[in-house]
Amino acid sequence: MTEYLLFPGCVASVRELGYEMAMRAVFKRLDVNLRQRDDFNCCMPACLVHSVDYERGLALTSRNLAIAEQEDLPLMTLCSSCFGNLSRAKYLLDHNPEIKEDVNKLLGEVGREYKGKVRIEHVVTSLYKDYSPDGLRELSVKPLTGLRAAPFYGCHLFLPQRYSGFDDAEFPQKLDRLIESTGATSIDYHEKTACCIGCGSFFGKVSEEAGLKLAETILDDVKESGADAIVATCPFCMMQLEVGQIKLKESKGKEYGIPVIHFVDVLGLSMGVKPEELGLDLRRVDVTPLLKRLNRI
Amino acid sequence: MVNTKDLLARLLDEKKLSYCQDCGSCTGSCPMAKALPGMYNPRRLLQRVSQNLPELLKSEELWLCAWCYRCTERCPQGIQPTEIFLLTRNLASKEGRIPENPKAIMREIMRSGRSVSVPNDFDEWRGEYGLPPIGATISPKAIEEQRKIFGEDLLRRLDA
Repeated sequence: MTEYLLFPGCVASVRELGYEMAMRAVFKRLDVNLRQRDDFNCCMPACLVHSVDYERGLALTSRNLAIAEQEDLPLMTLCSSCFGNLSRAKYLLDHNPEIKEDVNKLLGEVGREYKGKVRIEHVVTSLYKDYSPDGLRELSVKPLTGLRAAPFYGCHLFLPQRYSGFDDAEFPQKLDRLIESTGATSIDYHEKTACCIGCGSFFGKVSEEAGLKLAETILDDVKESGADAIVATCPFCMMQLEVGQIKLKESKGKEYGIPVIHFVDVLGLSMGVKPEELGLDLRRVDVTPLLKRLNRI
Repeated sequence: MVNTKDLLARLLDEKKLSYCQDCGSCTGSCPMAKALPGMYNPRRLLQRVSQNLPELLKSEELWLCAWCYRCTERCPQGIQPTEIFLLTRNLASKEGRIPENPKAIMREIMRSGRSVSVPNDFDEWRGEYGLPPIGATISPKAIEEQRKIFGEDLLRRLDA
């Protein structure tokens, strides 16, 4: 039986419960065991804690890696930002012996050590590596023929390539291949690999306005592409593109009505998991019309 | 302990900011520059790191990078703007210049172990959807460990 140590993160487990539900429902079907702990600290966003102190930020991120090594299990994150932070710490420590030594001095003060043997996956990278698109196609008993999905890659799932090592940095393809494995059509559009500024900029009003401006560009492009839904990989992106639709309706009267779902929702539906088990009723943009059209409700 | 200043000096020296050929790949790739034209420009920000550091440390722009890494991925000269900006912020932080919004989120992280605050009855709500509890904070021992690693000086700097 495949087993992972779940790194729950805060955005998915607090703000995007639907994604967490879908993830759990899908992995249960796949017979993947998700072990949990109550002592992981925050992934320690580089844009915040590492900005205040590089080494202590790295030490705090690496504390999570040390815990996973003790459990001797690969880590699995729900959030691309967690994935990015943990992968960055692993890369910097594994490639800079002096930084690793300093970080281990700090970890030693609390009786922990980072050795460098941990494997870090994201829900999407684990599905790709453990099953492959061909493997998932075989599990797709109710293929989503007719669903035009706009893949939204986010950033830290594949950037920078040296940290994540998952996909091509300029022309990522793996989310497209995963979507196609469910019988859906993956739509090509300009903003497919854009940044939503969701997880990285916390300056307040300026950052929020910048995020909304980019959300509008992304949403306009998705609308023009004729896609039925955005299929994201990161809970921050999901939040930005859903809340963005609500705000743009209020401020500009724009009606997008584009459901924002996660790849595990698409996979779950193709495996015959019921929409309510996937928490699709928790989405901020109504998914009902789409589910009706696809004969899932 | 590697001093942050040494690390910055090394990143600046090894990757030589002077290697920058002003191609603008960083700014052309930057989502913040796209959203805030005329206000945010990583190419100019990099120039200020080497040419006018004291002024840069006082500026708001230094804290706007969303660490998406597109500039770092694309720089044809191997300069790593994202990491350089993070390190430069360390210097601003040493001068006590941490903007209020990021500071408030970091205080929450040091208090609860998460960047998003969780209401006390949140687990009941999670339970209604069949999700296991996560608690309002991570375990007390983990909080103690993270505060110890972060250290008294830095906690004070955040008023945490």
